[in-house]
Amino acid sequence: MTARAFVEWKDVTKAFGGKPVLKGMSLAVNKGEVMFIIGTSGVGKSVTIKHLIGLLRIDGGEIWFDGQRVDTLPERKLAPLRKRIGMVFQSSTLFDSMTLAENVALPLRKHQKLSWSASLDEARKRLEQVYMGEYSERYPAELSDGMRKRAAIARTLALGPEVVLFDEPTTGLDPVSARRVDRLIRELAEKLGVTAIVVSHDPPSIFGVADRVAFLYKGVVHVVATPAELKASEDPVVQQFIGGKSSGPMETPGF
Amino acid sequence: MIGGKFIEGVGASTLRVAQEVGGIVVLTGQVLRALFPPRIDRRELFKNLYKMGNRSVPIVVLTAFFAGGLMTLQAGPFVKKLGATSLAGWGAGYAVLREIGPILIGLMFSGRVGANNTAELATMTVTEQLDGLRSLAIDPIRFLVVPRVIAMIVMLVALTILGDFVALVGSSVVAKAMLDIDFSTMYYSFVDNLTPADFLHGIYKSIAFGAAIAFSSCYFGVTVRGGAVGVGKAVNAAVVAAAVSIMLLDFFLTYLSSH
Repeated sequence: MTARAFVEWKDVTKAFGGKPVLKGMSLAVNKGEVMFIIGTSGVGKSVTIKHLIGLLRIDGGEIWFDGQRVDTLPERKLAPLRKRIGMVFQSSTLFDSMTLAENVALPLRKHQKLSWSASLDEARKRLEQVYMGEYSERYPAELSDGMRKRAAIARTLALGPEVVLFDEPTTGLDPVSARRVDRLIRELAEKLGVTAIVVSHDPPSIFGVADRVAFLYKGVVHVVATPAELKASEDPVVQQFIGGKSSGPMETPGF
Repeated sequence: MIGGKFIEGVGASTLRVAQEVGGIVVLTGQVLRALFPPRIDRRELFKNLYKMGNRSVPIVVLTAFFAGGLMTLQAGPFVKKLGATSLAGWGAGYAVLREIGPILIGLMFSGRVGANNTAELATMTVTEQLDGLRSLAIDPIRFLVVPRVIAMIVMLVALTILGDFVALVGSSVVAKAMLDIDFSTMYYSFVDNLTPADFLHGIYKSIAFGAAIAFSSCYFGVTVRGGAVGVGKAVNAAVVAAAVSIMLLDFFLTYLSSH
């Protein structure tokens, strides 16, 4: 499996201010798979996916994507990688000074050499696909979290990435919007063959969308399993997490 | 003991200043490298030229008019006493073109445009919008910083030229209204005594001040840490750094030109 893994973290370590977060974390994700990374807050889930596109640098270990080692690439050589791997941030990160259409048009204008008006037309179409067409001329600050998230997804998908990283895509959304995002992730994988790596601790998403789930605990991947296997697991730490129990064997720093 | 703490404090401050200066130098290098090849986002450039330049015109005009008037007002009693009205324009013009114009407009520009720029970039940084750009394979230096640096330098020079002119008008109006010196006397006093070198001296300064404001405001914006408090600190640091740089550059440029 290691040889054919599309995305792979190998023995990755990362510390912040001397405090280790990842302590030899390894995970392999196959092409077209929906992999969920779950775990308590502060365990290093977002850090893990940010390493893949060079937004953060690992202290040790290796990261591979499609047969190429990517953790050693300098910033200026990361652009081709970032066109193939998109990321939807937890906070959407739409640009405040631009309308939704201008936000989605930006990567099209920059990388597909579309003219200003052609990129805006294309952006409006992309926004229609995430049911945001009527808001395309509005600014991010005027919209709700759920709407911003959908526009951010449209922007990330604008370049047609092969892998999409989702950082807590359903956190802060109402249940209906959250399930729509879940459905979108599933459709991306099934219809377009996109590999999705999703950081989440939203149980309905985990058990409704994931092909496999990696449970991050104490800086390493504690277990990788299908949702059904995870539910059936007798591991007390896993059971405590997915059951959302406040007491149990789990160590949660800061709590 | 107190002496030890003092020396420790001086050492820590020196290290911090060295770190900030080093950071600004690195950013300057990155901006220069991004200019080759010069793929500047024209939309961002024009947006910033307009926002930073056009919208600064009223404040610059107001400041420059009274600054020019003030020069005449201060020199007035001496000019009158000596009967040297033909030198009134020279005195005001010399001070405006060489010193007051670039330095006053530079400081106004730093307060209005530089602070705004730092706050905007810093907010974008703490809300991960810069990481958002990077994740879209767009270089924030090339896309955000380069157009801002160019816009700030170009617009500070343009505003200084405008400000110089308005200040000379201001000094003439004050000369007429308060000292009863004719417009024509002031005009010939400017034309006969001021040289292109006086004007260019101020322009060189405004280029240097524009660069200092641009690099310090962008640097503190993109390196901010720690949420809303961090944004406030970044703006503060950028304005202080720009003001100190303007004063130091002014001194050295004046010294160099007089030697």
